[in-house]
Amino acid sequence: MSLLDRKLLRDLRALKSQALAVSLVMACGLTMMVMTRSLIVSLENARARYYEEYRFADVFARLKRAPDDVARRIAEIPGVAAVQPSVGRMVTIDLAGLPEPVMAWFGTVPERGEPLLNRLHLRRGRLLDPGIRGEILVSEAFADVHRLGPGDELAAILNGRKVPLRIAGIVLSPEFVFEAPPGAALPDNRTFAVVWMNYQELAEAFSMEGAFNQVSVALEPGASDRAVIAELDRLLMPYGGLRAYGRRHHASDVRVDDEIRVLLGLAVGFPIVFLAVGAFMTHAVMSRLITLQREQIAMLKACGFGRREIGLHYLKFALVIVTVGTVLGVIGGILLGHRLVDLYHLFFRFPDLHFELATGVLFAAAAASALAAVVGVWGAVRRAMRLPPAEAMRPEPPAEFKPSFVERLGLGRWVGVSLRMALRNLQRKPVQALLTGVALALATAILIIPNAFRDGVSYVLDFQWDIVQRQSVAVSLVEPGPVRALADFRTLPGVVSTEPFRATPVELVSGPVARRLNLIGLRAEGGLSRVLDAGLRQIVLPARGIVLSSKLGEVLGVRIGDEVLVRSLEGRRVERLVPVAAFAEDFAGVSAFMELAALNRLLLEGDQISGAYVAVDRGQWAEFLAAVKETPRATSVVVKEAMRDSFRKTTAESIGVLQMIYLLFATLVAFGIVYNSARISLSERARELATLRVLGFTRREVGAVLVGELTLVTVVAVPVGLWLGGWLARGLLTIVNTETVRLPLVLTSFNYSFAASVVTVATVVSLAVAARRIREIDLVSALKVRD
Amino acid sequence: MNAAAQPPAALSAVPPDPARGEVVFHVRGLSKTYGAGEAAVHALAGVDLDFRQGELVVLLGPSGSGKSTLLNLLGGLDTPTAGTLLYRGWDLGAADEEALTQYRRGEVGFVFQAYNLIPSLTARENVGLIGELASDPIPPEEALRLVGLGARLDHFPAQLSGGEQQRVAIARAIAKRPRVLLCDEPTGALDVRTGIVVLEAIERINRELGTLAAIITHNAVMAAMADRVFSLSDGRVVHVQANAQRASVSTLAW
Repeated sequence: MSLLDRKLLRDLRALKSQALAVSLVMACGLTMMVMTRSLIVSLENARARYYEEYRFADVFARLKRAPDDVARRIAEIPGVAAVQPSVGRMVTIDLAGLPEPVMAWFGTVPERGEPLLNRLHLRRGRLLDPGIRGEILVSEAFADVHRLGPGDELAAILNGRKVPLRIAGIVLSPEFVFEAPPGAALPDNRTFAVVWMNYQELAEAFSMEGAFNQVSVALEPGASDRAVIAELDRLLMPYGGLRAYGRRHHASDVRVDDEIRVLLGLAVGFPIVFLAVGAFMTHAVMSRLITLQREQIAMLKACGFGRREIGLHYLKFALVIVTVGTVLGVIGGILLGHRLVDLYHLFFRFPDLHFELATGVLFAAAAASALAAVVGVWGAVRRAMRLPPAEAMRPEPPAEFKPSFVERLGLGRWVGVSLRMALRNLQRKPVQALLTGVALALATAILIIPNAFRDGVSYVLDFQWDIVQRQSVAVSLVEPGPVRALADFRTLPGVVSTEPFRATPVELVSGPVARRLNLIGLRAEGGLSRVLDAGLRQIVLPARGIVLSSKLGEVLGVRIGDEVLVRSLEGRRVERLVPVAAFAEDFAGVSAFMELAALNRLLLEGDQISGAYVAVDRGQWAEFLAAVKETPRATSVVVKEAMRDSFRKTTAESIGVLQMIYLLFATLVAFGIVYNSARISLSERARELATLRVLGFTRREVGAVLVGELTLVTVVAVPVGLWLGGWLARGLLTIVNTETVRLPLVLTSFNYSFAASVVTVATVVSLAVAARRIREIDLVSALKVRD
Repeated sequence: MNAAAQPPAALSAVPPDPARGEVVFHVRGLSKTYGAGEAAVHALAGVDLDFRQGELVVLLGPSGSGKSTLLNLLGGLDTPTAGTLLYRGWDLGAADEEALTQYRRGEVGFVFQAYNLIPSLTARENVGLIGELASDPIPPEEALRLVGLGARLDHFPAQLSGGEQQRVAIARAIAKRPRVLLCDEPTGALDVRTGIVVLEAIERINRELGTLAAIITHNAVMAAMADRVFSLSDGRVVHVQANAQRASVSTLAW
């Protein structure tokens, strides 16, 4: 090892706490980068393997009813490789011990042999035996929540008849990687299940023998899904076909895609913030080091070391810091990545989701942090390289002091000596004060981000469940029925009020963009389910026109007054241009609303409803639920409290874990930055402070100068940091917001005060450490050698 | 006396001693100005001199007389504003940054008033560090023995006295066998006794290795140990004195 490198190592040892602080900040950014990138790779690979192995279809369609030979005709469409018809129905399940009814999507498997497409992965138990009646397969997420296993029993209301069923096996399906009720943006594994039965049994129950009402299609390699979809739509039209769609519109697959997009955003956004902070800190440390070593650099140059050797020497400091940061970051990323993969089981059910390290990201991580460090030190190193040797041999010119601004205002006599010195110091070295200020502001800012995420989630929870949906339950009818069906619900025990709704599948088209969703018809001014604008004011649904969620408006690229094409996907398949009347606030999925009567007019159907929102008296809650379970006309029952609980236990919990990780990192970084600033400030001032001590100032008075300076900077920097944090949070939310889930920017006073408190505590602790060092300043040597 | 107006020949009051070797530095009309216009400072205002191989010269003058500036120019730490500066016939005054670095690396050893040791390296390592630059360096142990520090090889600068630190600096300067040793107030921070030890080390290097040694000082007592003494004032050489006999360093006192 060359002696210059030995100097490097010894200098680094002296700087270890500062160097480690920088390394840790970089490690935090890299941990997130490695963790999220690896999660993406893990998810993508798990999905690709799953889809391939279990023959996930390419095109999907639902219809009213078609005889089996239609499936054979589908198989003849050019480009179709395989066709899997089946029956699917929404069914209410009564699970012993659970007061609420469970909504279940019942699908079928062929009587004999495995399905051609969308094969099931058996987790426990066995697959269905042909000919045995009353057996089902149940999705794992639901089974896990209720601790169900093979042999357990439940009852289902099949076409109005309560049938006892026994679980044969627990399974996964590539169609339900994300197991959520149709149209729901959030998973609800407590009151939503996916169930498979033998085709014959379910078909019989719903009088569908020899027919099917849903079909999955696999394409030949290279075939265009667009052409197949068009042909499929044409073929299924007479059989009440809802428009077919490809994989990229498949609800479960879209969720996985969205999650990957969110991770991509996080994989870029967070590391950029942290690495930028790391670069900044490297700069601060290196600038200070190079100032301290001014004479050493000059001597090395005088003795014949070239600019390149000097530059490389100081660049190596940064590289060592980066190397330590990268190694820690990669280890952290791998460890946390494993933990997060486990967490993803809450959302996504794959037969085999395990942590896979994204090897490419390791190079990217090393490169990104090296880049950050080089950017950080470049200016300082260049200064070292350019330092003329003769110039450096002279002592630094004495600092120019002037009465501070405050004193010139005539307020001088109101401030004490220590504060006066602090003020003059700040004014004398504005750049240094600015750098410290920026560091503190950054520390404050990065603390805002994780809490903004948490507050966004809880706002969405409150918004969705308390402000928008004030009903206790939403009860859907098996088939859309006349308004008088409402009367059936009113007679249920405990019902205080009811409001009808209509949900009908439509495609909204504006120019080249189209989106499929359930268009919801509501009363103009509903009390149980309300449509709200961005200011949380209720929108009165107009007799003419459609109200879109603002995200949908953005996706479709329309403004108020523009017309969108509403294409009904069932019934008489009406197509109408409807003006956009207003934009509603909505954080989950995309949605569109119309006034109920207006919707029915548009559909050219009489006064039809799909179900009702029901407000229930808490005292009669149990009786109400028991009665609903026995109501044959009701299929899906969404119980608000159950959904909210379930969301809290899954989504909120996992976001909570992520948020805690980020918060921990942010706190660590904040401490690192503040401590570093205090150390640098102390080291820059050691000589000056020692001089003051020699002149007879007490430790307390000397400490007050340092404290005063840092306090003044903190007072200015923290508010700036709070503002900057809001700005960064907004940027990150923009990156991670998708069509399925969006978080609003919510900045609470708790968030602000938390960030300010952490930085304040960090400042106090760092000052305490620095104060201890003031005590240790060796008065004589501090005046002699600058070190 | 106006040095700039003097004919070059008049400067060498002492005829060059052929036994003393070739001219190492050939300086004519050398000027250095810092700043411009009203604020311009003429640190050197036309210096003429020649230094020869094996000489020990002392540059004497009060602070602000330009002696440090002259030393910086001779050492390739700075470039002149005007005039001729030749090192063994090579135009040092016109050299670029890269060439100056090579010049300092190969030819010059520096001793500074403030020692300028690397605090994180031991005495042996401080000397060895510069040795790494040379093709045929004196081993650090031997260089330190030459300055009388053979017993303190593995001490860090903070563990050494001022005189010891300065002797490490001298050992460091000579380790690469430079042809020129430039010393800027080498005893400025030292007491008399320690100062003598340091000067003895310089004198010994000059005598035993034949290195041209130039010492800057404001201490007139040191003039006695030199072959020639150049007195500077206001950026000019105002007086040159040649000593027929160099006084032994141990006899000096101030």
